[in-house]
Amino acid sequence: MFRHEWIEKNAILLLVLTLLTISVGGIVEIIPLFTIETTIERVVGMRPYTPLELMGRNLYIREGCYTCHSQQIRALKDEVERYGHFSLAAESMYDHPFQWGSKRIGPDLARVGGKYSSDWHYAHLVNPQELVPESLMPKYGFMATTPLDFDHIDKHLRANRIVGVPYTDDQIAHAKDDLLAQANAQMDADALMKRYPKAVVVPGNDRAPTELDALVAYLQMLGTLVDFSNTSPEKLQQ
Amino acid sequence: MSDAAAISETLRAPLTYNEDVVRKFVVAGMFWALVAFLVGVYIAAELAWPEANLGLSYVNFGRLRPVHTSAAIFAFGGSVLIGTSFYVVQRTCRARLFGGEALADFVFWGYQFFIVMVALSYLMGYTQGLEYAEPEWHLDLWLTLIWVIYAVIFIGTLLKREEPHIYVANWFYLAFILTVAVLHLVNNAAVPISMYSAKSYAAYGGVQSALIQWWYGHNAVGFLLTAGFLGMMYYFIPKQADRPIYSYRLSVVHFWSFVFMYIWAGPHHLHYTSLPDWTQTLGMVFSLMLWMPSWGGMINGLMTLSGAWDKLRTDPALRFSVTAVGFYGMATFEGPVLSIRDVNALAHYTDWIVGHVHSGTLGWNAFMSFGAIYYLVPVLWKRSGLYSARLVAWHYWISTLGIVLYISSLWVAGIMQGLMWRAYDAFGFLQYSFVESVSAVHPYYVIRWLGGMMFFVGALIMVYNLVMTVRSPSTRRAVTGYPVGAIAAGE
Amino acid sequence: MEDDISGVLVGALVAVLGMVGLFMASGAYDNAIFIFGLSLAAFAVLFDIGLIRRHFDRRSGGRHV
Repeated sequence: MFRHEWIEKNAILLLVLTLLTISVGGIVEIIPLFTIETTIERVVGMRPYTPLELMGRNLYIREGCYTCHSQQIRALKDEVERYGHFSLAAESMYDHPFQWGSKRIGPDLARVGGKYSSDWHYAHLVNPQELVPESLMPKYGFMATTPLDFDHIDKHLRANRIVGVPYTDDQIAHAKDDLLAQANAQMDADALMKRYPKAVVVPGNDRAPTELDALVAYLQMLGTLVDFSNTSPEKLQQ
Repeated sequence: MSDAAAISETLRAPLTYNEDVVRKFVVAGMFWALVAFLVGVYIAAELAWPEANLGLSYVNFGRLRPVHTSAAIFAFGGSVLIGTSFYVVQRTCRARLFGGEALADFVFWGYQFFIVMVALSYLMGYTQGLEYAEPEWHLDLWLTLIWVIYAVIFIGTLLKREEPHIYVANWFYLAFILTVAVLHLVNNAAVPISMYSAKSYAAYGGVQSALIQWWYGHNAVGFLLTAGFLGMMYYFIPKQADRPIYSYRLSVVHFWSFVFMYIWAGPHHLHYTSLPDWTQTLGMVFSLMLWMPSWGGMINGLMTLSGAWDKLRTDPALRFSVTAVGFYGMATFEGPVLSIRDVNALAHYTDWIVGHVHSGTLGWNAFMSFGAIYYLVPVLWKRSGLYSARLVAWHYWISTLGIVLYISSLWVAGIMQGLMWRAYDAFGFLQYSFVESVSAVHPYYVIRWLGGMMFFVGALIMVYNLVMTVRSPSTRRAVTGYPVGAIAAGE
Repeated sequence: MEDDISGVLVGALVAVLGMVGLFMASGAYDNAIFIFGLSLAAFAVLFDIGLIRRHFDRRSGGRHV
């Protein structure tokens, strides 16, 4: 006959049983996400971030943008009408970590790419209230004057490859060139566009890339990669 | 029974407990409480009046919010939890902390060092971008070391106990320590770009990253802010009310069902997202079932007062502990409701969630901490009682009113946002632009700021009262006899 | 007895960590690691001085509070 007293009198038994009890739920929910193949839909168009977008994404994280903006359009009628096609798991598969967010103090950004011009983004980030008077967004003028730190850009790409983002040797070798090509409209971007289709070249200032250049490049690609003319509801079934 | 043993243990307590480290944690806990509340009030002001961001990178909302959440959860909550667990485990095991003074001191100073480094790194913009798991890899490693040593001290003390039974409060503290360790290790797995750089990339991406993060996030609530605090409830409420725990059987059922079910509830943070439906449904079902063990615990805490309800009138510190359990009951009812997919469709991404979280953190966690600290300070500093019961009452009413303002304003704001976002006009178009929902909630953000401000003022009153308790000649303990202080403090 | 052994072990561990801090600060790419490394070294020095102080306080019979 089982008696709870046994557990109460044996610290090690209590420890082991507690550990086992808390493990069940996590194992049942998390492991299948790595093993079930349909968890991530098969779609056309996804590619790793360009070096400049990746740096922009790091700045998005640095400034805590996720505390006010989500990047996840839920499969609800009004959200799809407001923001566009609901988000696919495939669209964030190269995000380490994800930035789906949990709060909308500002609007969702999952498909903000291409909705506004790059010039609009520069002006808006420097002084949001000038374009949207009711906005609660802080001003990010300091990013326009801070040069982007990309000394170790190749290391960033390599760390991404270790966690599973399929950067090629070619992409890593040309990381710095690609970054510079995307941050300056005067430069030749053919090689960049070949390695990273649909990348948006930002106006830049034909001197050193700024933090704002990187952030705008990132914002301009959000949600634009997947070719939705090439999908069907069946293909998106998880 | 172990409950009875816990109640009577102070009478024969040897004088060799390590109370020094507990005192340090209590002081640190109160200090970080003030910091957390102040930063909270400030970022609430930034939402009400965005000019308060000042255009300065260091005080922007995005950088200060993690300072607020980490200061509240890990600095204030963590210090109170570690401190009380060291107090409770010694008393209920009748054993001095395992590992000697130096080890306990290392946990204290190492943990404070962690907090300061984390706050600095947030201000400088170093963050993993995972909510409540923002510290970068080097700080995660440091915390891992501190936590392992903390676990060694706690478990070592359990192993060398003089009492045959492990008291129920310690089960909950143990579950808190173990689970937080597992959550921390799994969720923070990351690859730094170099050991000389604070930047790292998370081991998991996209949908897996999302689920692991909310498995972590929800169980940080479940095991740090709930299991650990239930440990406090199971020790301090019986102490303050001078009654044994209402039901031993209920505490057994409560414990095991709680630790089993909580872990599953994370996916309710990801309803209607790109997380597969089966995971969402599983998360919702367990969140609903979780209502039962939560209320089981609440009943056990509240019913402990049966026959001692009159103490609520005479002991204002006990009022904090009991109100905390009430808020716990409320938040653990609201939580399952919010986890229902259709309710969540409306509430997610809105301020309703923020209000819900604060009914738990302010009402349950902070009030439970206040109750325990009001009890502990006279005991630890060997004073005859608190400096002023009236000030405790003032603190109680100001903060309670503050919470009411906070959560009710955000109920209104949250439901309003949810309804505006999904409203259609007569022609079948979306009725409101996003920014209209931003303007609409402005008055409620002002009320929320006011509620937070009142909570902060209440905490200032508390600190004054505690300092005077330690300093004032009026609370000096009589030289002989049973410590009268313990009686005034509700013992 | 327990306190003495614990003091020596913890003191040694913290000293090693302080060294790691200096090592990290010396090669730091960014302010976060630079500040963290130096602070860790400072933490180690202060903590170990505290341990030593307490050891002598106890030996001279003064009750350390």
